[in-house]
Amino acid sequence: MSDKRFHMGWFMNFTTNEWNVPFGNDGMPWNGKFYIEMAQAMERACFDYIMIEDTLMVSEAYGGNSEVYLKYATMAPKHDPAPLAAIMAAATSKMGVVATMSTTFYPPFMLARLCSTLDSIAEGRFGWNIVTSGEDGSAQNFGMDKLTEHDLRYDIADEYVDVVCKLWDSWEPDAVVRDRETNTYADFKKVHAINFKGKYFKSRGPLNTVRSPQGRPVFVQAGGSPRGRQFAAKTADSIIAVANGVAGMKAYRDDVRARAAAQGRDPDDIKVLFVVTPVLGETEKEAVERKLRADSDPDFIMQALASISSVTDIDFSQFDLDEPLPPLETNGERGSLDKFAQWGSGKTLRQLVLDAGGVSDSIELVGTPDQVAEQMGDAMEGVGGDGFLISAPYMRVSKQYITEICEGLIPALQRRGLVRSAYSSPHLRGTLREF
Amino acid sequence: MAGKFHLGWFLNFVADEWNGNWGDGGRDFTGEFYVEMARDLERARFDYVLIEDKLMVSTAYGGTMQHDLKHGVNPKHDPVPLAVLMANATTRLGVIPTMSTSFYPPFLLARLCSTVDHLSGGRFGWNVVTSGEDRSAQNFGLDKLYEHDERYARASEYLELVSRLWESWEPDAIVRDYETGTYADYTKVHTIDFEGKYFKSRGPLNTAPSPQYRPAIAQAGASPPGRELAAQHADTIVAPANGIEAMKAYRDDIHARMKANGRDPAHCKVLYIVAPVVGDTRQEALAKRERWFTSPRYIEYMLAEISSITEIDFAQFDLDQPLPEVWTNGERGALESFLSPGRDKTLRELVTGSGLSGNVQFCGTPQEVAEEMGAVMEQVGGDGFLITSPVMRLNRRYVTEITDGLVPALMKLGLTRSQYTTTMLRDHLREF
Repeated sequence: MSDKRFHMGWFMNFTTNEWNVPFGNDGMPWNGKFYIEMAQAMERACFDYIMIEDTLMVSEAYGGNSEVYLKYATMAPKHDPAPLAAIMAAATSKMGVVATMSTTFYPPFMLARLCSTLDSIAEGRFGWNIVTSGEDGSAQNFGMDKLTEHDLRYDIADEYVDVVCKLWDSWEPDAVVRDRETNTYADFKKVHAINFKGKYFKSRGPLNTVRSPQGRPVFVQAGGSPRGRQFAAKTADSIIAVANGVAGMKAYRDDVRARAAAQGRDPDDIKVLFVVTPVLGETEKEAVERKLRADSDPDFIMQALASISSVTDIDFSQFDLDEPLPPLETNGERGSLDKFAQWGSGKTLRQLVLDAGGVSDSIELVGTPDQVAEQMGDAMEGVGGDGFLISAPYMRVSKQYITEICEGLIPALQRRGLVRSAYSSPHLRGTLREF
Repeated sequence: MAGKFHLGWFLNFVADEWNGNWGDGGRDFTGEFYVEMARDLERARFDYVLIEDKLMVSTAYGGTMQHDLKHGVNPKHDPVPLAVLMANATTRLGVIPTMSTSFYPPFLLARLCSTVDHLSGGRFGWNVVTSGEDRSAQNFGLDKLYEHDERYARASEYLELVSRLWESWEPDAIVRDYETGTYADYTKVHTIDFEGKYFKSRGPLNTAPSPQYRPAIAQAGASPPGRELAAQHADTIVAPANGIEAMKAYRDDIHARMKANGRDPAHCKVLYIVAPVVGDTRQEALAKRERWFTSPRYIEYMLAEISSITEIDFAQFDLDQPLPEVWTNGERGALESFLSPGRDKTLRELVTGSGLSGNVQFCGTPQEVAEEMGAVMEQVGGDGFLITSPVMRLNRRYVTEITDGLVPALMKLGLTRSQYTTTMLRDHLREF
């Protein structure tokens, strides 16, 4: 029998956890302990990795001020993901930890060194989620008037990845010799300046720290637009994808794999994980009712519109809920806009919001753990691979949700032989390439 | 009888000792050695551990990377993740990594500091440096470093900007109002619209106000602009121990500058870097010191180190002659400290006499050294010591000699704290 297994990750961020629902009463996860326990629960369930999303601004896209964003704590407050990745790695021993850092705002040398340090601390389980950032609001926090144009951001990101890879390779694998006879810790002949001079970046090198266990971190990417896909196909070890239904998922994955092959890469070296937001219940009826309750929440539409406004810098408060959207363009997250807007569908904004379900999920998963596991298996069979990324509604996590996924859904998947029940590789890249 | 003084430890995230009698380290860079050490320091009731940092492999000594790498001056990991791990493994110890105002984008740094202050429950500090080496600048795409005084002008504006970002959320902005479903009140979160000569940022910060509201600030200002920056912002200062007179003069100067800036001098604690050598008997300690400081390895290591931070090639000078005039755009305080034993001293005497740990020598039994430290503090007036390894290379034996030998002797004399009474770093520093 062939290996039917697919990969599992979780897409979350260092924002508040649930604080205003019947089984979520915290709202103060800022010392990190809640999320460390989440990582431990996920490691028990044998997830490949936890991915910490990030953005660098308090949005004012919806309605022209920050009221809605701060009221619902949508995207802010949000802590820096890198320190959380460090303590998650320290609190686990097998699962990968992936933090988001922006090529638009991090100086390359600093990012290369930080990633190297984190990969050492995680003993080879660190990943970098490469983003170019999509909001003028972020750019303005960093002294720019507006963000660089969308496709140019990816050209810059290409060069950025090039320079940081050269920095990671500036230490040969055996540069640390620890030779007691000659009192030599590292052999300087095996450490090289890179003298990088590109169009956008310049760095002399070498990196001033050791080569990390994986050499370079695992690269995660979320390219939705054609230019973004091209970048991901060239660079990524794993891709975060949102697509409409099994057909959309298959088309996306086939496209990325074709682009990878065209660039001389083995498509199997890229694991495309699709974002889903399962709604689970003891019975199917309970799950369906739960989903209905969530969708009819009076705050739901505003939160959904605020979210899509934030990542596109388009003020969706200006549009009539019961009319179709006018044609829109964004310099921000093009893939997210296209997914949300369902161009050509003729749907009203209200319908689009309900379709989006408060999150960008690829297929709707509602039911008992066994039913949802079955649906996930079927979907993967149709798509061809490579797995799913769990994302809680609005990425707002509670102990209850974590437990339902890790103690309900995952065991149901494991019973079907659909996901891993043990880790066999100490490194994240090895875990991703195991099957 | 002198009052209590403060203790900190000065280290960096490099290989622990790997080629001495008491160390087989440097094998991996997971941070475990230093995390264990943080627990030792907390047991000894240190105020904080400060993690130095640099962003380059130096070629200053002899024109190649050979000596820097041979002696393990580098590899050196990013200090921030280590600070996070140390904080995570302790409950009271302050953690202070170094970050450079020349290279960190201010918004990233402000947010990182806020995050780690949360993770540590208010025990985070930022050691503000401007960086001192052209080689670092070249890693960041510049041809050379900004001129010394301009670096401080930038740093001053930088501190103003990040302070504004930390203050962009009023302390009570998070309301968690269950009735109205409001997590944070947007009328208490403000853009800063900062436009300075060097930096620009709209704000607000996109994360929650941290337990200390702003991290504790550490600084090592030696030059006049450095001292001024420290007097304006620092909660603690890393200072060289260049003799009792110089130490006292330095602290008096900082106090005067603080008053001129409207600050209470009690709000900044000057800690002097020292490297005590302790043994079971005085003779043993002296012999140990002699062995360490006259070892050819130590001399070569120290010359590579001082070359690295000043970008002056000390390989060109005769070890047995006094130094000619030297000048640096890098760490002027370190150079001054290195030269402080006197211009008539030979290079060998400078290196073996004190190295970078100043010229207040503590050597003896724990009891003797504790008494001497008390006597020095009484004459200087305060505020404490920052311990560092005499050879900049740590092993568990040296750490234990300090945390389980010297510090208990200090505690018995009532010279250092025997319990923490506060939980946050700034409060530790202000306790006495």
